[in-house]
Amino acid sequence: MIFDRPTAYELLDAVSIFLEGKIKNELPKHLGFNLQIAINVINIVKREIKSGKEIDETSSKLISDLLEDEDTMKSLADSIKNKTLDLEDKNLQSALLEITKMKLSVDNPKYSTYKELIE
Amino acid sequence: MSEELKESISELLLAENIDGEITEIIPLTGGASAETYKFKVKQDWFVLRKGSGNTSPLAILKKDEAFIQNEVFNQGAPVAEIVAVSNESSKLTDAYIMKLVEGESIARKVLRDKKFSQARKVLAYECGQALAKIHSVSLESLTKVPRNDPYQSLENLYLTYQQFKQPLPVFEYTFRWLKEQKFQEIEPTLVHGDFRLGNLIVNEEGLAAVIDWELVNIGNPIQDIGWMCVNSWRFGITEKIVGGFGNLEDLLQGYTSVSNLIIDEQEVKKWQVFGSLRWGVICLIQTYSHLNGPTNSVERAAIGRRVSETEIDMINLMFLGGK
Repeated sequence: MIFDRPTAYELLDAVSIFLEGKIKNELPKHLGFNLQIAINVINIVKREIKSGKEIDETSSKLISDLLEDEDTMKSLADSIKNKTLDLEDKNLQSALLEITKMKLSVDNPKYSTYKELIE
Repeated sequence: MSEELKESISELLLAENIDGEITEIIPLTGGASAETYKFKVKQDWFVLRKGSGNTSPLAILKKDEAFIQNEVFNQGAPVAEIVAVSNESSKLTDAYIMKLVEGESIARKVLRDKKFSQARKVLAYECGQALAKIHSVSLESLTKVPRNDPYQSLENLYLTYQQFKQPLPVFEYTFRWLKEQKFQEIEPTLVHGDFRLGNLIVNEEGLAAVIDWELVNIGNPIQDIGWMCVNSWRFGITEKIVGGFGNLEDLLQGYTSVSNLIIDEQEVKKWQVFGSLRWGVICLIQTYSHLNGPTNSVERAAIGRRVSETEIDMINLMFLGGK
């Protein structure tokens, strides 16, 4: 990496702490609501920077275990659509579950169903 | 607020013999394809609902909304009384005015504020009653409402999903799973299409009014019950299946106090899966209106990352035995 610190993650961290700590309570209600969404978005990007690459690799591996010479979300979606894969296939079900859990770990790890399933 | 808007409202009211100056006008949040304002004339508060020009592929016109709301009002369901509807010559083009119903529509407040604790106890039962009344509206005059059987609804949803060209294996799985289900055949009824907290006005006694009729359609009535049970509409209170406040037995008891239809809980579950999928597709619609549209919206951008919430709910229902 040629870039100096702060890293991309550390920069976003500084921004989100600033918004949360200094700006949020200064705003009228309706803008506060939108600011909270903006803070959530920054947190998604932070989590994606941290674990996105690994999740991508793990997902490709899960898909190629099912489909042999293909490893993309598109090829998995197509194989379900054109009925190459059986809905009752336990490996398919567990791959979908694992991939979706990893998506949630970035998108919204506080989501109720996700929290129940990782406990 | 612009004088022009006030003038257009006064014109519409005058046609219904309501005369007087608009003394206050306040914008409200009102769904994706509507602008909503509340305003005061003399001592009375009214609500204007107006097409925003930003039409959703699933939404009907505002004046058709008003027509339906009027039919539902006549069935005795809790809805606001329609006061005036725009016509061709009105500057408001597609809009209507109704009486304001006092109460709270913000889900978080209805679910958590102490003053609604009594209301929360009766809300599931009253929602069941209201749905049964909505489902009893005569379909004869509702020629402009889209009509679909479960499989057509699925097909329409699939076409919408497909146009975004975003491959979602869980969506593909769920579409196939739903197509393989045998949906109980029920005489089609009017379906609200978005019956959940956020679109219900609740006061301290219970349900005061059902609002936001833009996703109304004619189809299987259990669609509305399944939608109400979708986890996204429990706002974090997962253990209360109905809207985060009630249980299904209470809702069904309220329903059967009005209607003769016997509802099987397994059917509700299928429609709950359908509901999660439908909400997922609506998230896509909103996301892509941000990505492809002229205006930047952080809210709509963020909703793209809520698609995975619907996916985990579908998986949980279809093969993990979740509720």
